[in-house]
Amino acid sequence: MAERQLADTMGKISAWRGILERIAMPIISVVLAIFLGALIMLVAGFEPLPAFLALLKGSFGSPRAIGETMLRATPLLFTGLAVAYGFKAGLFNIGAEGQLFMGGLVAAYLGVVMGGVSLWINIPVILLAGMAAGAAWAFIPALLKARVGAHEVITTMMFTFIARYFVSYLVSGPLRAEGAVAQTVRIAESAVLPKLHDLLGTAPIGRAHAGFIVGLVLAVVMWLVLRYTTLGYENRAVGFNPVAAETGGISVSATMIKALCISGALAALAGVTEVLGLHYRLFDQFSAGFGFTGIAVALLAKNHPIGVIPAAILFGALSAGAGTMQLEAEVPQKVIFIIQALIIFFVAAEAIARWIVRFTRKEAIEDAG
Amino acid sequence: MLADVITPDLFASAVRVATPLALAAIGGTICERSGVVNIALEGMMLTGAFFGVAVTYFTGSAWLGVLGAVVSGTLLSLIHAFASVTLKTDQVVSGTAINILATGVTGFLMEVIYGHPGTTDPVARLRPLLNLGNPFNGVLADIWRWIDAVFFSHTPIVYIAILLAVVGQWWMYNTTWGLRVRALGEHPRAADTVGISVVRGRYFAVLFSGAMGGLAGANLSLEQVGSFTENMTNGRGFIALAANIFGRWTPGGSYLASLLFGFADALQIKLQPLRDVIQIPPQFFLMLPYILTVIVLGGVVGRAVAPAAVGKPYEKG
Amino acid sequence: MDGALLELRGITKRFPGVLANDDVDLTLHEGEIVALLGENGAGKTTLMNVAYGLLTPEAGTILFEGKPVQIKSPRQAISLGIGMVHQHFMLVEPLTVAENIVLGQEPSRASIIDFDAARTFVKDLSDKYGLRVDPDARILDLPVGMQQRVEILKALYRGARILILDEPTAVLTPQEVRELFAVIRSLVEEGLTVAFITHKLEEVMNIADRVVVMRDGAVVGEVRPADTDQAGLARMMVGREVVFSVVKEPATRGDTVLSVQDLSVTDARGIESVRGVSFEVRGGEIVAVAGVSGNGQTELVESITGLRMPSGGRIELKGRDITRASARESIEAGVSHVPEDRLRRGLVLEFDLTENIVLGDHRKPPFATRGIMHPAEMTRVAAERVEAYDVRAPSTRVLASALSGGNQQKLILARELGRNPELLIAAQPTRGLDVGAIEFVHKEIIKERDAGKAVLLVSLELEEVQSLADRILVMFEGQIVKEFAAGEASDEDLGFYMTGGGGRKLAAGTAQEASHG
Repeated sequence: MAERQLADTMGKISAWRGILERIAMPIISVVLAIFLGALIMLVAGFEPLPAFLALLKGSFGSPRAIGETMLRATPLLFTGLAVAYGFKAGLFNIGAEGQLFMGGLVAAYLGVVMGGVSLWINIPVILLAGMAAGAAWAFIPALLKARVGAHEVITTMMFTFIARYFVSYLVSGPLRAEGAVAQTVRIAESAVLPKLHDLLGTAPIGRAHAGFIVGLVLAVVMWLVLRYTTLGYENRAVGFNPVAAETGGISVSATMIKALCISGALAALAGVTEVLGLHYRLFDQFSAGFGFTGIAVALLAKNHPIGVIPAAILFGALSAGAGTMQLEAEVPQKVIFIIQALIIFFVAAEAIARWIVRFTRKEAIEDAG
Repeated sequence: MLADVITPDLFASAVRVATPLALAAIGGTICERSGVVNIALEGMMLTGAFFGVAVTYFTGSAWLGVLGAVVSGTLLSLIHAFASVTLKTDQVVSGTAINILATGVTGFLMEVIYGHPGTTDPVARLRPLLNLGNPFNGVLADIWRWIDAVFFSHTPIVYIAILLAVVGQWWMYNTTWGLRVRALGEHPRAADTVGISVVRGRYFAVLFSGAMGGLAGANLSLEQVGSFTENMTNGRGFIALAANIFGRWTPGGSYLASLLFGFADALQIKLQPLRDVIQIPPQFFLMLPYILTVIVLGGVVGRAVAPAAVGKPYEKG
Repeated sequence: MDGALLELRGITKRFPGVLANDDVDLTLHEGEIVALLGENGAGKTTLMNVAYGLLTPEAGTILFEGKPVQIKSPRQAISLGIGMVHQHFMLVEPLTVAENIVLGQEPSRASIIDFDAARTFVKDLSDKYGLRVDPDARILDLPVGMQQRVEILKALYRGARILILDEPTAVLTPQEVRELFAVIRSLVEEGLTVAFITHKLEEVMNIADRVVVMRDGAVVGEVRPADTDQAGLARMMVGREVVFSVVKEPATRGDTVLSVQDLSVTDARGIESVRGVSFEVRGGEIVAVAGVSGNGQTELVESITGLRMPSGGRIELKGRDITRASARESIEAGVSHVPEDRLRRGLVLEFDLTENIVLGDHRKPPFATRGIMHPAEMTRVAAERVEAYDVRAPSTRVLASALSGGNQQKLILARELGRNPELLIAAQPTRGLDVGAIEFVHKEIIKERDAGKAVLLVSLELEEVQSLADRILVMFEGQIVKEFAAGEASDEDLGFYMTGGGGRKLAAGTAQEASHG
């Protein structure tokens, strides 16, 4: 009995060790990326320290800044979850961008058409409808993958462009609102996602809206799904070892289709919440590449749904603080993209990051010794 | 009304629009044939477009700008080659990162060099290579207008693209190098066993695609527009991917597919003034390349078979 | 016919947990045909991979024409004049015959391939050695026998003086085998040396000048076919002392559990690998299918467990038709499967013990109800089973990848037997395990049988088959060629039938169709 207890405790300790090890690498990757970014700034004639201080100020330095960070993190929560869930099944959903356009489309349409119902009905219905649209948009690529083996990277990418142009057509044509700008009609009040400070009754926190809460909740839900449902179990089994999964009676093709469709549904919510919480309408450029940034988020989170939360907040912070960085430290905003790319490289090439860490550690020992 | 649409300029336009697509697509063809997926053509094009303008700005010579564009695209692709072939990271992830990097670097440098975002100042452009007049009269003059517009009115890089398509197609099936590249993408181990270096071959192919991407960008910024605007590539790199697939992974096929897509784009522009009469929205034509590619991938119109080993890092032994 | 061309001395090659080559000597002379005979795992392919530079031995020297050489890569082997045709061809399928043959050494002027010269080369070689091929045909359009010729021509084009063939007849029809042998003879007439790896006795007797027999990584003997017969070879190949024996009661047979009737299965390449097999397994008995790997056992097991659809015939489990059942349906019908590929098919290495144990039953109570899993129940049952099946691990939260081979196999047993199946199919269940683990697995299999369950054992280990089986079915080239009751057959008898002895010929028509399908 005591043996079993000891074994269990040892198991728990090693589990915590495991978690620490797992988050160490992403953290190191971020640190290295920021370091390299600072180097680039230096070479280009800028001062890194004021730049990063301004970045921090713009992302966490005031309630408004924190609100801005949450605002920008919101769509990334959804696309990050979407890509992560797909990765868990071994599928690369690079088409999150297209799926979120379809979600935004549904939201912009239903938000207008459904006017007059209670907010408590309106918003959930639109959320569900948006998810359905995203799942539908991912369905053909999923089917092609399962049936013909067509690589989902290419098919979902193609569907992204089809979605973009489809939305562009609708926004400048059939769904166009009066006026010079190509955009849809403003959604009804009952479809508006309340601002966070209105919802929580706190002091103003910038433009952050309830979509952020939805994202957090969804992250927890996806974690529960992956961990505690047969759907999640089969998803992971197929992602790790489709051959063994098949032997265990799991239908690999059905699992893949479900995974890609769920991924699409999650991504679509990014579009839904942007429309319902921020813009209240749909227009051509309403996405700042959230679908692609979602890939970076998922990678940094190592495809763990809970890990998506800090990863999305990090990228949201980078985006939120970039403006201040440009304003106060005069460093071009675009350096954020460079840092993002570096983070992806370092996370993807963990091997090289590990090597750098070992190398500097060895040097440190030699210096000390 | 039809005469307003079917003009020499429509076809000449098609060729012009197709050029950057074709260049990038041909680069993508060689790269994927060697076994490496390259979704960063967009980023390489954008980088080439920027550096083409920047170098021209500083040196005053558009040709040096073209060189700068090609070199910048190649250097960017070196990162992809290193990540994909040496470090063996996921090639799609690497490509995605490079696209983001390109957006960042070009935007960043634009502010550093020009002091503002958006669009750079205009620079010297590459002019059309030939400037033949119209020595004919009557019907001959009409015919000549057509021939001149479609074949003789283009800027240099357009002709380079056509040349590369023709030479590339021949190269792939008639030279030792073409044969070996194809072997690398289908069965790298077989190639390795007969003494072909998988690493060297793939590096070459990836760098070539970078050079092509850069050249495509140069065509955009130095021949078509005359300046650089942020995000000016606007997805062309991805259409190039589609063109490569549609063209069945051959240089000639890539060019023809690009021509088709370019034609759709040119047609869409031509139809704009007639929007009241012809109710087809322009976006339909713009969507066409992507829809066609999905159809091809779905095996509806013959199977599109990628090189067997594409996307898989090669492990020795 | 005299000088020793290639000498391998004292070659020792180790893999994790396995001594593949144990101080092996082998000499090849000019102009001879040497057969390297042995069961799967005897070390023949390893030895030849060393000669071809694909593997580096831990110890040993190689002499070529009397001079010591280092062969660190196939390129070096090729430059010495050693060519190898592997079981899995190194051919680029969309390219033509000529392109494949000259790849890397293309006849060219300024890098422009001279196709005419290439064709001429191919034609000349073709004529010289009697290997008819169409230089402009694409590899993927060619039948396997033709593809093999291209591989041989590839080696000849690069000036091979020694040609190594690894299980060359595994994929050929009898007609193609005859043609291959004719080719080999003409190659040798032109002065080449041919070494071929095989486990088929009949071929060895047919064509080899000399036979080197290997077993468990060592050479156990060398003989001329003229001086022996198939039975003698079989004796050399499989004769071994029994390491340990299992005590078991005589079987008390119950009703028929598994009934296989005239089953035919086509494999992934379109070749018919199971050809009209019929047999029964009753409750309370262990039926062993003995045979060398590659004779259709894998496909037989896959068709019963729902992983592959048969092309003909019928499978019944306790009267229920499961011919076209999916993997899930067959698990639910009561079939448990211990797969031969433990790591790839048997376990999800990234899952912990608990998650592996519930695989296959993960949708049903007590592990899950209506899509929600019950981790507490899962852990409880897993802990019980881990205990019962002696899986040595600090806790059930350990990943399967952290276990040793023996414990991994026990984990699979914990899953498959813990399910209390009607029929247990165990394929190569003790491959790569240590003695203690082997004993445990055997005991568990006997326990199942004593509890009245039906057991189908697929194995190429003769001790295992002899000690466990109540009935032995020998499988060769997709058919059951012989049936023995327990104790009826000696090891030599089994080895004999397993390697095609008894001269069992196939109807020429069937085989031809199969390989071109």
